[in-house]
Amino acid sequence: MGHSKLIRLVKLFLVILLTVPLLSGCWDRLEIEERAVVLGISIDEAGEISNEEKDSQIIQKPPATSMVRVTVQIALPGRIPLGPGESGGSSGAGTQETLWVLDSVGHSVDDALMNLQQQLSSRLFFGHLRVIIVSERVARKGLENINDYFHRNSEVRRMAWLMISKGSAKALMKAAPKLERVPTLYLMATLDEGIRMGKFPSNYIGNFWSNSVKLGEEGYLPYVAIRKEQNIRVSGLAYFKGNKMVGTTSENQIGAFMGIKGMNPAGYRIFVDLGGPMKNVMMTTTHRDKKIDVRIVNGRPRFTIHISLEIGVEEKMSEEVAISNASILKQIEEDEKSKAIKIYQQLIEMTQEDGSDIFGFGEMVRAKKPGYWNTRVRTKERWQEMYKEAEFDFSVQMNVRRVGMKAK
Amino acid sequence: MENTRQITTIQAAAILVSTIIGVGVLPLPLFAVRAGDAGAPLVTFLGMLVGFIGLMLISLLGMRFPKQSFVQYSEAIIGKWLAAIGTLLLIAFFAILTSLAAREFGEVVVTSVLKNTPLEVTVIVMLLLAAVSTRNNLVTFSYIHLFYFPFLLGPALLIVALSLKNADVINLQPVWGNDQTHMLPGILTIAALFQGSFVMTIVIPGMCDPKKSMKASFIAMLIAGGMYVAIVIAAVGVFGSEEIKNLLWPTLELAKATSLPANILERLDAAFLAVWVTAVFTTLFSSYYLTIRFISNLFRLKDHNMFSFFLLPFVFIMAVIPQNILQMYEIIADVGRIGLFITVGYPAFLFIISLIRGKRGDRDGTQQTNPAS
Amino acid sequence: MRNGSGKSKSRVVTKASSPVLDAALDIPLTGTVEDTISTVLSILKEDGDFIVRRFHLFGQYNAVLFFYSTTADLATVNNHILKPLMHLPAHLEGRINELQQLRDIVFDDVLYHCGVKQENKLSELIACILRGDTAMVIDGVEESFSISTSNVEKRAIDQPATEQVIRGPREGFIELLEKNIALIRYRLPTPELRIHSMEIGRRSRSKVSVCYMDGVTNAELVNEVKRRLSQIDIDAVLDSGYLEQFIEDNHMTPFPQVQYTERPDKVVANLLEGRVAILVNGSPLALIVPTVFSQFYQTVEDYTERFLLMSAIRLARLVALVFSLVFPALYVSIISFNPELIPTEFAVAVAGGRAGVPFPAVVEVLIIEISMEVLREATIRLPQQVGGALSIVGVLVVGQAAVAAGFASPITVVIIALTTIGSFATPAYNAALALRLLRFPLIIIAGIFGLYGVVIGLILIVNHLLSLKSFGVPYLSPLVPGGFRGMKDLIIRSPLGLMKERPASLHTQDKVRVDADTSAEEQPKNVLDPSEFDPAKEGQ
Repeated sequence: MGHSKLIRLVKLFLVILLTVPLLSGCWDRLEIEERAVVLGISIDEAGEISNEEKDSQIIQKPPATSMVRVTVQIALPGRIPLGPGESGGSSGAGTQETLWVLDSVGHSVDDALMNLQQQLSSRLFFGHLRVIIVSERVARKGLENINDYFHRNSEVRRMAWLMISKGSAKALMKAAPKLERVPTLYLMATLDEGIRMGKFPSNYIGNFWSNSVKLGEEGYLPYVAIRKEQNIRVSGLAYFKGNKMVGTTSENQIGAFMGIKGMNPAGYRIFVDLGGPMKNVMMTTTHRDKKIDVRIVNGRPRFTIHISLEIGVEEKMSEEVAISNASILKQIEEDEKSKAIKIYQQLIEMTQEDGSDIFGFGEMVRAKKPGYWNTRVRTKERWQEMYKEAEFDFSVQMNVRRVGMKAK
Repeated sequence: MENTRQITTIQAAAILVSTIIGVGVLPLPLFAVRAGDAGAPLVTFLGMLVGFIGLMLISLLGMRFPKQSFVQYSEAIIGKWLAAIGTLLLIAFFAILTSLAAREFGEVVVTSVLKNTPLEVTVIVMLLLAAVSTRNNLVTFSYIHLFYFPFLLGPALLIVALSLKNADVINLQPVWGNDQTHMLPGILTIAALFQGSFVMTIVIPGMCDPKKSMKASFIAMLIAGGMYVAIVIAAVGVFGSEEIKNLLWPTLELAKATSLPANILERLDAAFLAVWVTAVFTTLFSSYYLTIRFISNLFRLKDHNMFSFFLLPFVFIMAVIPQNILQMYEIIADVGRIGLFITVGYPAFLFIISLIRGKRGDRDGTQQTNPAS
Repeated sequence: MRNGSGKSKSRVVTKASSPVLDAALDIPLTGTVEDTISTVLSILKEDGDFIVRRFHLFGQYNAVLFFYSTTADLATVNNHILKPLMHLPAHLEGRINELQQLRDIVFDDVLYHCGVKQENKLSELIACILRGDTAMVIDGVEESFSISTSNVEKRAIDQPATEQVIRGPREGFIELLEKNIALIRYRLPTPELRIHSMEIGRRSRSKVSVCYMDGVTNAELVNEVKRRLSQIDIDAVLDSGYLEQFIEDNHMTPFPQVQYTERPDKVVANLLEGRVAILVNGSPLALIVPTVFSQFYQTVEDYTERFLLMSAIRLARLVALVFSLVFPALYVSIISFNPELIPTEFAVAVAGGRAGVPFPAVVEVLIIEISMEVLREATIRLPQQVGGALSIVGVLVVGQAAVAAGFASPITVVIIALTTIGSFATPAYNAALALRLLRFPLIIIAGIFGLYGVVIGLILIVNHLLSLKSFGVPYLSPLVPGGFRGMKDLIIRSPLGLMKERPASLHTQDKVRVDADTSAEEQPKNVLDPSEFDPAKEGQ
């Protein structure tokens, strides 16, 4: 008994001896208010570099890339009111002060951020980074460096949004929509709600990374523009070839893209022409279904895309059409079908020209026809070429299910 | 003396599962994808089968000699000196395995969560935790494993379940992968992740019914292997094999990409890593306990407690030897493959010799060889 | 140190006895009144309340009564001892021939009191006086009589203050051992109930009763309890808590390994599960051994109310238990280490709340926690009339002022308040205290390592719990080692009919609690079912 007690005492002593040095360090403790919580980052071309900014360039032998201008949006602790009611109705008006927008230039993203950090007392913290906006011009030069930096940084979440801005990305950082206390969160909410309404595919930065490195697929990103009300409009998809942006689609083509991918929920509307100037009916898509078959014909992949859409009547232009029997719905289906196929074909042709397979047809080939893939394709570059020659058949099925609360 | 044969089949299976599942899960999809692209789940499955063969041999041996420890019956089979060499190899191997696991987890923690904390601190904390806990008897050892068992399966299954909704079946096809040339070394690398199952050698002598050790091994392999395969499927399904090649710890990235419904927690990586401390702890605990048990068996000591702190500095020094993370992973891969000879080859050798020489410990062994407590 | 004098003598009950008595231990009584009086006075001295009452037995024999006027019931002494002894009843006249007969007549015919014993040792005579009984010595009779007249004022049987229930018995133990045993006995009118008495405490000579069920409780467990109790050598046992500290397995742990209760129904329920209860005279708290962790969050009410509701409430209690341990530590590690885990809007808001606070979150939480503990302690100590006011002042005013002064962030106050309330949801005060204590190291380690540290701390705690044993029963059973039968009463409370067996970890002799047949398939009859009701019978 006494012996084991002695040992226990020695053990206790050792444990204390070992824990005391631990107490001396709280190496990683960094209070939340000491962090500069970065909510959004935008990346532009450097443009004009002021003298002040030139001073901060200290690298002897800079890399041979063009300079970038990085703008960050930092949440100011204490300015954003705690809880909903506490400081009255000033939530809308106070937006200007809740955030601090800072910018800096550098040879790479990290370099620019380092320059930025020099101007800040608190450490930049990317754990809550929700939106990264890259200007179109930077994106067309390639996202390699940007992808690498945000991939490597363990604080950045995979559920952040990466978007391409038409024109200056910094303007988006400065935009101050009235609805949300924090503008970046509004931007994020625009896209998140877009997913829920079926207007936009769920395509976070993580999905983009995954897609753009896949052998038989290319990445795409939301293409946004700022409107005069300081709000943001998703005006299409920016599609990529490898790391370089190669083109954009129109807004309506997002719907087509989602149709081919069979993404749900569906939310796009289309005018159906029933043969007359005022005989237009607005239809909304409610559900999408797709099935893609791949065959190898003449040494080239040939895809048959079966798409089935469920649509509903949303409005009509005049009383000239009476939606009162099933045959008129049939007519609507036929018309919408032809329109849909046209949009789908257009979109695919457009991406084929640019060699950017954002649909992942190549992945289909790799998965379903591994023999063909292994002998004829193998690499991403080969597929980018082969995609241009791939052929597509469409078989679209439209089903009008509902007409709303009105009987005709 | 109290009755030491208290470990039930479920406890034995829990010990095996929580020993096998450890820090190796974090880079697992990367290893599997490097070997088999989209066929990564298949590679994992095959690796599991290889691991199971090793475990099966150990169980068979243990069932032949249910009353003796591994060190004792290896001496009975191939003689004292040969067996001593084998045991020493095993001791060295598991000491290295312990240190590498501690180091690997330390690297993960330092890279992703505690960036400014010295690596040595995280490593020594983990090792201390294991060392303090080894000062218990086999029964408490099994209790500890049984208790943490749900804490291993829960978070891993949660992440798999939550991420599967983002998975794409295309990423998993073709199931045998596009390129089979690297498969074999990959299978061995993954089989090496199952080496913790060697702990079965010290569990069997404490089981209520050693006859059921095969059943326990089978259940454990089904759970552990099933979880490995599930994690690989989830990771490949969500990221695609090419993206996984860009990620050092795809499982952690999977946790990062997952958020709990209703945004209770927006990302799970730090939380997952925190819970995963228990998984790493149980692995370290087992391999450290195994090392210490083998040493005390080899030198025929009654008390194994004195070694638990004596060995600590050596293990710690081995843990800090690798200079950087990439070198560490090279060492881990090499050690793992060499280890297969020790943890699978050696028992196989013993089993064959015992078959040839007709040695058994379960019928008449009690009279011939003096069973220790 | 103390057992120097105790060791040499062998005694029946316990080694401990009051040291003055040891010298008088083996002295037999002489039978002469004067000698006895002088000896007794030499030991007990002339205390104000010590009464030596000489009288003439039946008007002719010298006799003396010794008693303390404060502890003996004077009415009994007057009416049931002195009165019959002074007058020889008519029918006995002439039957006394010699002195030895006198003894028998007094015992058999005169004293109508059931608590009369004959002693022949001086030490026993003294002990009887000290107990509050009355001792009588008759000139020429060697044996003395001890007549139980002890009457200590006791409080009424009341609601147990610390273990209130809404549904369930309202009786609680009081300080008097006899009453407590009565409370148990009338609930268990079975010959299997054994109550083994012993005396512990050299000076206090406290009566200790070990209760168990013969044929249910594991016999070795009973022997071990008796053995551990008999080894106690202590001056005084003032409460059952003294015994607890001597018989528990591990003294160096914050976790209690013995449960205490002031509810007789709880004691009975535990006896029936196969546990052993220990009662001490002077303490309203019975000890129950062996104890496992799950007992600390179970209440009597769990079993009296419907099982679905109580299962849900038990779950809530478990959540509160875990929260009271880890919540502040989690808060610290999320705020100071991993703010990326919480939703962005909230994180920004928290940062706003903390912006003016000068301390790191660890220090802030520790300060508020410690002041909360001080407040709690103060509220217990204060007289009830002031306590309520103080707690309101303390919690509301100080909390609000601390936030307003920028001393603490509002969210910290919320977290600490939740934690404190959570710790009060645990029924067992000592277990709640253990967890509350462990909260502090967890907060500190969270301040060093963040979430990683919290888990390390929890692993240490859990490993400690797993290595704990109470009389050999693993502390976390039935969770570990897994017994699926025992789990029916672990997190949820299964219907009583399903819990057919006593806890397996107690290795009871009689394993079955509910016979499979009694709860079995006999369908209840729907006697008043409208479709089956026979109106013809109604008139009858």
